[in-house]
Amino acid sequence: MKIRLSHADGRPLYVQIMDAVRSGLVRGSLRPKDPLPSVRDLSSSLRVNPRTVSQAYAELERDGLVQVRHGKGTFVAPGVRPEETERPRLAREVARRALADASRYGLALADLMTALGEMDRKVPMETTAHGDNS
Amino acid sequence: MTEMVPAALPVDLGNGPFAVTTRGLAKRFGSVRALDGLDLQVPEGAVYVLVGPNGAGKSTLIRTLMGLVRYQAGSVDVLGRDPADRGAEVRAGIGYVPEDYRFGYAWMTVGRLLEHQAVYHPSWDAEYARRLRARYEIDPGRKCHALSKGQSRRVQLVLALAHRPPLLLLDEPTDGLDHVVRDETLSILSEHLADSPTTVVISTHRVYEVEPLVDHVGVLAGGRLLGQLPRDELHMGLLRYWADVPEGWRPPRELSGRVVRRNGSARMIEWTVWGDRDAVTRGLSEAGAAVRDVAPVSVDEAAVALLSGREAS
Repeated sequence: MKIRLSHADGRPLYVQIMDAVRSGLVRGSLRPKDPLPSVRDLSSSLRVNPRTVSQAYAELERDGLVQVRHGKGTFVAPGVRPEETERPRLAREVARRALADASRYGLALADLMTALGEMDRKVPMETTAHGDNS
Repeated sequence: MTEMVPAALPVDLGNGPFAVTTRGLAKRFGSVRALDGLDLQVPEGAVYVLVGPNGAGKSTLIRTLMGLVRYQAGSVDVLGRDPADRGAEVRAGIGYVPEDYRFGYAWMTVGRLLEHQAVYHPSWDAEYARRLRARYEIDPGRKCHALSKGQSRRVQLVLALAHRPPLLLLDEPTDGLDHVVRDETLSILSEHLADSPTTVVISTHRVYEVEPLVDHVGVLAGGRLLGQLPRDELHMGLLRYWADVPEGWRPPRELSGRVVRRNGSARMIEWTVWGDRDAVTRGLSEAGAAVRDVAPVSVDEAAVALLSGREAS
Protein backbone atom coordinates (compact mmCIF):
# COMPACT_ATOMS: atom_id res chain seq x y z
CA MET A 1 0.00 0.00 0.00
CA LYS A 2 1.62 3.21 -1.14
CA ILE A 3 0.30 6.45 0.25
CA ARG A 4 1.15 9.96 -0.78
CA LEU A 5 -0.24 12.73 1.37
CA SER A 6 -0.86 16.17 -0.04
CA HIS A 7 -0.96 19.23 2.11
CA ALA A 8 -2.62 21.11 -0.70
CA ASP A 9 -5.44 18.55 -0.65
CA GLY A 10 -7.34 20.46 2.02
CA ARG A 11 -8.74 17.33 3.63
CA PRO A 12 -7.40 16.25 7.02
CA LEU A 13 -4.47 13.84 6.85
CA TYR A 14 -6.40 11.00 8.50
CA VAL A 15 -9.09 11.22 5.80
CA GLN A 16 -6.40 11.03 3.12
CA ILE A 17 -4.98 7.91 4.79
CA MET A 18 -8.49 6.38 4.92
CA ASP A 19 -8.99 7.05 1.21
CA ALA A 20 -5.61 5.52 0.40
CA VAL A 21 -6.73 2.31 2.14
CA ARG A 22 -10.06 2.42 0.27
CA SER A 23 -8.19 2.94 -2.97
CA GLY A 24 -5.96 -0.08 -2.17
CA LEU A 25 -9.12 -2.18 -1.71
CA VAL A 26 -10.59 -1.01 -4.98
CA ARG A 27 -7.34 -1.65 -6.88
CA GLY A 28 -7.01 -5.06 -5.29
CA SER A 29 -3.61 -4.34 -3.77
CA LEU A 30 -5.31 -4.82 -0.40
CA ARG A 31 -7.52 -7.88 0.05
CA PRO A 32 -9.65 -9.20 2.90
CA LYS A 33 -7.53 -10.35 5.90
CA ASP A 34 -4.38 -8.57 4.59
CA PRO A 35 -2.37 -6.78 7.27
CA LEU A 36 -2.07 -3.01 7.13
CA PRO A 37 1.26 -1.37 8.03
CA SER A 38 1.76 -0.86 11.76
CA VAL A 39 0.91 2.57 13.14
CA ARG A 40 4.59 3.09 13.92
CA ASP A 41 5.82 2.14 10.43
CA LEU A 42 3.18 4.09 8.55
CA SER A 43 3.53 7.24 10.64
CA SER A 44 7.31 7.03 10.31
CA SER A 45 7.21 6.62 6.54
CA LEU A 46 4.61 9.39 6.12
CA ARG A 47 6.32 11.61 8.72
CA VAL A 48 3.02 12.20 10.50
CA ASN A 49 1.88 12.01 14.11
CA PRO A 50 1.13 8.35 15.01
CA ARG A 51 -2.20 9.53 16.39
CA THR A 52 -3.21 10.55 12.87
CA VAL A 53 -2.66 6.99 11.64
CA SER A 54 -4.44 5.54 14.71
CA GLN A 55 -7.36 7.87 14.03
CA ALA A 56 -7.57 6.74 10.40
CA TYR A 57 -7.47 3.06 11.43
CA ALA A 58 -10.10 3.63 14.13
CA GLU A 59 -12.44 5.35 11.64
CA LEU A 60 -11.88 2.56 9.10
CA GLU A 61 -12.73 0.05 11.83
CA ARG A 62 -15.92 1.96 12.60
CA ASP A 63 -16.80 1.75 8.90
CA GLY A 64 -16.28 -2.03 9.09
CA LEU A 65 -13.37 -2.06 6.65
CA VAL A 66 -10.59 -3.12 9.02
CA GLN A 67 -10.19 -4.95 12.30
CA VAL A 68 -7.76 -3.77 14.95
CA ARG A 69 -6.50 -6.85 16.81
CA HIS A 70 -4.72 -5.93 20.00
CA GLY A 71 -1.05 -6.79 19.97
CA LYS A 72 -1.30 -8.20 16.45
CA GLY A 73 -2.00 -5.22 14.26
CA THR A 74 -4.65 -3.99 11.89
CA PHE A 75 -6.14 -6.18 9.17
CA VAL A 76 -8.60 -5.75 6.34
CA ALA A 77 -11.93 -7.13 7.58
CA PRO A 78 -12.70 -10.60 6.16
CA GLY A 79 -16.10 -9.78 4.71
CA VAL A 80 -15.18 -6.58 2.85
CA ARG A 81 -16.58 -6.35 -0.69
CA PRO A 82 -14.79 -3.36 -2.22
CA GLU A 83 -16.56 -3.63 -5.59
CA GLU A 84 -19.97 -3.22 -4.01
CA THR A 85 -19.24 -0.55 -1.40
CA GLU A 86 -15.86 1.11 -1.81
CA ARG A 87 -15.72 1.59 -5.57
CA PRO A 88 -18.97 3.63 -5.74
CA ARG A 89 -18.05 5.45 -2.57
CA LEU A 90 -14.60 6.43 -3.81
CA ALA A 91 -16.11 7.43 -7.16
CA ARG A 92 -18.61 9.71 -5.40
CA GLU A 93 -15.79 11.32 -3.45
CA VAL A 94 -13.70 11.91 -6.59
CA ALA A 95 -16.79 13.27 -8.40
CA ARG A 96 -17.55 15.60 -5.51
CA ARG A 97 -14.04 17.00 -5.65
CA ALA A 98 -14.16 17.36 -9.43
CA LEU A 99 -17.44 19.23 -9.11
CA ALA A 100 -16.03 21.54 -6.45
CA ASP A 101 -13.02 22.18 -8.65
CA ALA A 102 -15.29 22.91 -11.63
CA SER A 103 -17.36 25.41 -9.69
CA ARG A 104 -14.12 27.08 -8.61
CA TYR A 105 -13.50 27.83 -12.29
CA GLY A 106 -17.07 28.90 -12.92
CA LEU A 107 -18.06 25.64 -14.63
CA ALA A 108 -21.32 23.75 -14.13
CA LEU A 109 -22.09 20.04 -13.82
CA ALA A 110 -23.18 19.95 -17.50
CA ASP A 111 -19.76 21.24 -18.65
CA LEU A 112 -18.08 18.52 -16.67
CA MET A 113 -20.39 15.80 -17.99
CA THR A 114 -19.77 16.89 -21.57
CA ALA A 115 -16.01 16.91 -21.09
CA LEU A 116 -16.07 13.49 -19.40
CA GLY A 117 -18.21 12.05 -22.21
CA GLU A 118 -15.74 13.30 -24.82
CA MET A 119 -12.77 11.95 -22.89
CA ASP A 120 -14.41 8.55 -22.56
CA ARG A 121 -14.64 8.27 -26.34
CA LYS A 122 -11.07 9.41 -26.97
CA VAL A 123 -9.15 7.82 -24.13
CA PRO A 124 -9.93 4.26 -23.11
CA MET A 125 -10.39 4.39 -19.34
CA GLU A 126 -7.65 2.59 -17.45
CA THR A 127 -9.52 2.10 -14.24
CA THR A 128 -8.52 -1.49 -13.64
CA ALA A 129 -5.19 -1.65 -15.45
CA HIS A 130 -3.38 0.74 -13.06
CA GLY A 131 -0.46 -0.33 -10.95
CA ASP A 132 -0.50 0.59 -7.30
CA ASN A 133 1.19 3.92 -7.62
CA SER A 134 -1.25 6.41 -6.10
CA MET B 1 -0.36 51.21 19.73
CA THR B 2 -2.08 49.33 22.53
CA GLU B 3 -5.41 49.13 20.71
CA MET B 4 -6.92 45.74 21.48
CA VAL B 5 -7.63 43.56 18.48
CA PRO B 6 -10.56 41.26 19.21
CA ALA B 7 -9.31 37.71 19.62
CA ALA B 8 -10.82 35.97 16.62
CA LEU B 9 -9.55 32.56 17.58
CA PRO B 10 -10.02 30.61 20.82
CA VAL B 11 -7.17 30.66 23.32
CA ASP B 12 -8.59 28.37 26.03
CA LEU B 13 -8.21 24.60 25.75
CA GLY B 14 -10.48 23.82 28.69
CA ASN B 15 -9.73 21.56 31.63
CA GLY B 16 -6.80 19.45 30.55
CA PRO B 17 -5.06 17.37 31.79
CA PHE B 18 -2.13 19.56 30.85
CA ALA B 19 1.58 18.77 30.91
CA VAL B 20 2.43 22.48 30.89
CA THR B 21 0.45 25.57 31.86
CA THR B 22 1.25 29.20 32.48
CA ARG B 23 -1.18 31.76 33.92
CA GLY B 24 -0.67 35.46 33.30
CA LEU B 25 3.02 34.83 32.66
CA ALA B 26 5.01 38.03 32.30
CA LYS B 27 8.67 38.73 31.68
CA ARG B 28 10.32 42.02 30.84
CA PHE B 29 13.80 42.66 29.61
CA GLY B 30 14.29 46.33 30.50
CA SER B 31 11.36 48.08 28.86
CA VAL B 32 10.65 45.23 26.44
CA ARG B 33 7.75 42.98 27.37
CA ALA B 34 8.93 39.58 26.16
CA LEU B 35 5.98 37.75 27.70
CA ASP B 36 2.86 39.76 28.37
CA GLY B 37 0.25 37.89 30.41
CA LEU B 38 0.60 34.54 28.65
CA ASP B 39 -1.82 31.67 29.34
CA LEU B 40 -0.21 28.62 27.78
CA GLN B 41 -1.96 25.23 27.91
CA VAL B 42 -0.18 22.18 26.54
CA PRO B 43 -2.33 19.05 26.85
CA GLU B 44 -0.64 15.84 27.97
CA GLY B 45 0.51 13.84 24.97
CA ALA B 46 0.06 16.75 22.58
CA VAL B 47 2.45 17.82 19.86
CA TYR B 48 2.05 21.54 20.31
CA VAL B 49 3.60 23.94 17.85
CA LEU B 50 4.36 27.44 18.98
CA VAL B 51 4.35 29.71 15.94
CA GLY B 52 5.36 33.32 15.76
CA PRO B 53 7.75 35.79 14.20
CA ASN B 54 11.24 36.44 15.53
CA GLY B 55 10.99 38.31 18.81
CA ALA B 56 7.49 36.99 19.57
CA GLY B 57 8.69 35.49 22.86
CA LYS B 58 8.95 31.85 21.80
CA SER B 59 12.46 31.21 23.08
CA THR B 60 11.89 33.24 26.25
CA LEU B 61 8.81 31.13 26.94
CA ILE B 62 10.66 27.86 26.41
CA ARG B 63 13.60 29.02 28.52
CA THR B 64 11.13 30.01 31.24
CA LEU B 65 9.59 26.52 31.15
CA MET B 66 13.12 25.12 31.53
CA GLY B 67 13.76 27.34 34.56
CA LEU B 68 16.55 29.14 32.71
CA VAL B 69 14.73 32.49 32.73
CA ARG B 70 13.16 33.97 35.86
CA TYR B 71 9.63 35.22 35.29
CA GLN B 72 8.29 38.30 37.06
CA ALA B 73 4.54 37.73 37.26
CA GLY B 74 2.03 34.93 36.86
CA SER B 75 2.55 31.22 37.46
CA VAL B 76 4.15 28.30 35.66
CA ASP B 77 3.47 24.57 35.99
CA VAL B 78 5.71 22.11 34.14
CA LEU B 79 4.92 18.44 34.85
CA GLY B 80 3.44 19.46 38.20
CA ARG B 81 6.34 21.66 39.28
CA ASP B 82 7.32 25.32 39.19
CA PRO B 83 10.61 25.60 37.31
CA ALA B 84 11.45 28.82 39.20
CA ASP B 85 12.13 26.95 42.44
CA ARG B 86 12.55 23.32 41.29
CA GLY B 87 14.48 23.92 38.11
CA ALA B 88 16.79 20.90 38.33
CA GLU B 89 13.89 18.49 38.90
CA VAL B 90 11.93 20.02 36.04
CA ARG B 91 14.90 19.86 33.68
CA ALA B 92 15.48 16.18 34.50
CA GLY B 93 12.11 15.42 32.90
CA ILE B 94 12.68 17.47 29.77
CA GLY B 95 14.46 16.79 26.51
CA TYR B 96 15.55 20.23 25.40
CA VAL B 97 16.88 21.43 22.08
CA PRO B 98 17.96 25.02 22.66
CA GLU B 99 17.83 27.75 20.07
CA ASP B 100 21.60 28.14 20.44
CA TYR B 101 23.50 25.34 18.73
CA ARG B 102 26.78 25.90 20.58
CA PHE B 103 27.62 23.56 23.43
CA GLY B 104 28.65 24.53 26.94
CA TYR B 105 31.20 21.69 26.85
CA ALA B 106 32.81 22.73 23.59
CA TRP B 107 36.08 20.92 24.37
CA MET B 108 34.38 17.53 24.83
CA THR B 109 34.09 14.93 22.13
CA VAL B 110 30.56 14.06 21.09
CA GLY B 111 30.99 10.55 22.54
CA ARG B 112 32.08 11.97 25.88
CA LEU B 113 29.14 14.42 25.87
CA LEU B 114 26.70 11.56 25.29
CA GLU B 115 28.25 9.59 28.18
CA HIS B 116 28.00 12.68 30.35
CA GLN B 117 24.30 12.99 29.53
CA ALA B 118 23.75 9.27 30.20
CA VAL B 119 25.02 9.69 33.76
CA TYR B 120 22.78 12.69 34.35
CA HIS B 121 19.61 10.89 33.18
CA PRO B 122 18.79 7.56 34.88
CA SER B 123 16.33 6.79 32.07
CA TRP B 124 19.03 7.11 29.39
CA ASP B 125 18.46 4.42 26.74
CA ALA B 126 21.98 3.63 25.52
CA GLU B 127 20.80 1.33 22.73
CA TYR B 128 18.40 4.01 21.46
CA ALA B 129 21.15 6.64 21.65
CA ARG B 130 23.39 4.38 19.57
CA ARG B 131 20.67 3.86 16.94
CA LEU B 132 19.97 7.59 16.72
CA ARG B 133 23.67 8.36 16.45
CA ALA B 134 23.94 5.89 13.56
CA ARG B 135 20.90 7.28 11.75
CA TYR B 136 22.25 10.79 12.11
CA GLU B 137 25.76 9.65 11.05
CA ILE B 138 27.31 11.33 14.06
CA ASP B 139 31.02 10.74 14.60
CA PRO B 140 31.55 10.31 18.38
CA GLY B 141 35.22 11.25 18.04
CA ARG B 142 34.53 14.81 16.89
CA LYS B 143 35.05 17.71 19.27
CA CYS B 144 31.84 19.63 19.98
CA HIS B 145 33.39 22.97 19.00
CA ALA B 146 34.29 21.56 15.58
CA LEU B 147 30.70 20.67 14.67
CA SER B 148 28.76 22.54 12.02
CA LYS B 149 25.38 23.99 12.93
CA GLY B 150 23.56 21.05 11.39
CA GLN B 151 25.82 18.50 13.09
CA SER B 152 25.28 20.23 16.45
CA ARG B 153 21.52 20.11 15.95
CA ARG B 154 21.67 16.37 15.34
CA VAL B 155 23.71 15.83 18.51
CA GLN B 156 21.27 18.02 20.45
CA LEU B 157 18.34 15.96 19.16
CA VAL B 158 20.03 12.73 20.29
CA LEU B 159 20.69 14.28 23.72
CA ALA B 160 17.03 15.35 23.97
CA LEU B 161 15.43 12.10 22.78
CA ALA B 162 17.63 9.31 24.16
CA HIS B 163 16.43 9.54 27.77
CA ARG B 164 12.82 9.29 26.58
CA PRO B 165 11.65 12.23 28.72
CA PRO B 166 7.95 12.90 29.37
CA LEU B 167 8.36 16.36 27.85
CA LEU B 168 10.29 17.56 24.80
CA LEU B 169 10.93 21.28 24.36
CA LEU B 170 12.32 21.79 20.88
CA ASP B 171 13.33 25.34 20.02
CA GLU B 172 13.69 25.57 16.23
CA PRO B 173 14.67 21.88 16.03
CA THR B 174 15.08 21.84 12.25
CA ASP B 175 17.19 24.99 12.15
CA GLY B 176 20.42 24.35 10.26
CA LEU B 177 19.38 20.90 9.01
CA ASP B 178 19.52 20.16 5.29
CA HIS B 179 16.48 18.67 3.54
CA VAL B 180 17.48 15.04 3.95
CA VAL B 181 18.35 15.35 7.63
CA ARG B 182 15.18 17.34 8.31
CA ASP B 183 13.12 14.62 6.68
CA GLU B 184 14.97 11.98 8.71
CA THR B 185 14.28 14.01 11.87
CA LEU B 186 10.53 14.00 11.19
CA SER B 187 10.67 10.24 10.71
CA ILE B 188 12.62 9.85 13.97
CA LEU B 189 10.12 12.04 15.83
CA SER B 190 7.17 10.02 14.42
CA GLU B 191 8.74 6.80 15.68
CA HIS B 192 9.64 8.38 19.01
CA LEU B 193 6.01 9.42 19.52
CA ALA B 194 4.81 5.92 18.63
CA ASP B 195 7.27 4.31 21.08
CA SER B 196 7.25 6.69 24.07
CA PRO B 197 4.41 8.62 25.70
CA THR B 198 5.63 12.17 25.25
CA THR B 199 4.33 15.72 25.25
CA VAL B 200 6.12 17.89 22.72
CA VAL B 201 6.37 21.65 22.38
CA ILE B 202 8.00 22.75 19.13
CA SER B 203 8.84 26.38 18.63
CA THR B 204 9.39 27.45 15.06
CA HIS B 205 8.80 30.18 12.56
CA ARG B 206 8.82 27.57 9.79
CA VAL B 207 5.77 25.58 10.82
CA TYR B 208 5.37 23.91 7.39
CA GLU B 209 8.46 21.86 8.20
CA VAL B 210 6.82 20.12 11.15
CA GLU B 211 3.16 20.55 10.24
CA PRO B 212 2.26 16.85 9.71
CA LEU B 213 3.36 16.01 13.25
CA VAL B 214 1.44 18.72 15.00
CA ASP B 215 -1.95 18.36 16.74
CA HIS B 216 -2.13 21.64 18.69
CA VAL B 217 -1.27 25.15 17.60
CA GLY B 218 -0.40 28.29 19.54
CA VAL B 219 0.23 31.52 17.66
CA LEU B 220 2.41 33.90 19.64
CA ALA B 221 3.03 37.58 18.95
CA GLY B 222 4.26 40.30 21.24
CA GLY B 223 4.37 37.92 24.20
CA ARG B 224 0.71 36.96 23.88
CA LEU B 225 -1.24 34.16 22.26
CA LEU B 226 -3.43 35.18 19.31
CA GLY B 227 -4.87 31.69 19.19
CA GLN B 228 -4.42 28.36 20.96
CA LEU B 229 -6.45 25.41 19.73
CA PRO B 230 -6.41 21.84 18.44
CA ARG B 231 -5.24 21.63 14.84
CA ASP B 232 -8.48 19.89 13.79
CA GLU B 233 -10.52 22.81 15.12
CA LEU B 234 -8.29 25.24 13.28
CA HIS B 235 -8.74 23.18 10.13
CA MET B 236 -12.53 23.20 10.47
CA GLY B 237 -13.02 26.73 11.75
CA LEU B 238 -10.53 28.94 9.96
CA LEU B 239 -11.42 28.96 6.26
CA ARG B 240 -10.60 31.02 3.23
CA TYR B 241 -13.58 32.38 1.29
CA TRP B 242 -13.46 33.57 -2.29
CA ALA B 243 -16.45 35.61 -3.40
CA ASP B 244 -17.49 37.97 -6.18
CA VAL B 245 -18.86 41.20 -4.78
CA PRO B 246 -20.54 44.25 -6.33
CA GLU B 247 -18.48 47.42 -6.45
CA GLY B 248 -18.68 49.41 -3.23
CA TRP B 249 -19.76 46.29 -1.36
CA ARG B 250 -19.99 46.53 2.42
CA PRO B 251 -19.27 43.47 4.54
CA PRO B 252 -21.94 42.13 6.89
CA ARG B 253 -21.63 43.47 10.43
CA GLU B 254 -21.87 40.04 12.07
CA LEU B 255 -18.51 39.12 10.56
CA SER B 256 -16.67 41.97 12.26
CA GLY B 257 -13.98 40.56 14.53
CA ARG B 258 -14.10 37.21 12.73
CA VAL B 259 -12.24 38.22 9.62
CA VAL B 260 -8.65 37.33 10.29
CA ARG B 261 -7.28 38.55 6.99
CA ARG B 262 -8.72 40.54 4.08
CA ASN B 263 -7.37 40.26 0.57
CA GLY B 264 -8.90 40.84 -2.83
CA SER B 265 -9.74 43.51 -5.32
CA ALA B 266 -12.67 45.78 -6.16
CA ARG B 267 -15.03 42.97 -7.21
CA MET B 268 -13.46 39.96 -5.55
CA ILE B 269 -12.69 39.18 -1.96
CA GLU B 270 -10.35 36.56 -0.54
CA TRP B 271 -11.01 36.54 3.16
CA THR B 272 -9.74 34.29 5.90
CA VAL B 273 -12.56 34.04 8.43
CA TRP B 274 -12.97 32.21 11.74
CA GLY B 275 -16.40 30.70 12.27
CA ASP B 276 -18.97 28.12 11.23
CA ARG B 277 -18.68 27.55 7.48
CA ASP B 278 -22.42 27.62 6.75
CA ALA B 279 -23.04 30.68 8.90
CA VAL B 280 -20.19 32.65 7.32
CA THR B 281 -21.25 31.62 3.79
CA ARG B 282 -24.85 32.63 4.56
CA GLY B 283 -23.71 35.94 6.06
CA LEU B 284 -21.65 36.73 2.95
CA SER B 285 -24.44 35.66 0.57
CA GLU B 286 -27.10 37.67 2.35
CA ALA B 287 -24.86 40.71 2.12
CA GLY B 288 -24.74 40.28 -1.66
CA ALA B 289 -21.46 38.39 -2.12
CA ALA B 290 -21.47 35.34 -4.43
CA VAL B 291 -19.28 32.81 -2.65
CA ARG B 292 -17.20 30.94 -5.25
CA ASP B 293 -15.03 28.75 -3.09
CA VAL B 294 -14.29 27.88 0.51
CA ALA B 295 -11.09 26.08 1.48
CA PRO B 296 -9.24 25.23 4.66
CA VAL B 297 -5.84 26.78 5.28
CA SER B 298 -2.65 25.10 6.43
CA VAL B 299 -1.29 25.84 9.89
CA ASP B 300 1.39 27.90 8.20
CA GLU B 301 -1.15 29.94 6.23
CA ALA B 302 -3.26 30.34 9.35
CA ALA B 303 -0.28 31.75 11.23
CA VAL B 304 0.57 34.11 8.39
CA ALA B 305 -3.06 35.29 8.22
CA LEU B 306 -3.26 35.86 11.97
CA LEU B 307 0.08 37.61 12.22
CA SER B 308 -0.28 39.83 9.15
CA GLY B 309 -3.89 40.65 9.99
CA ARG B 310 -2.65 41.82 13.36
CA GLU B 311 -0.01 44.08 11.84
CA ALA B 312 -2.55 45.61 9.47
CA SER B 313 -4.99 46.54 12.24
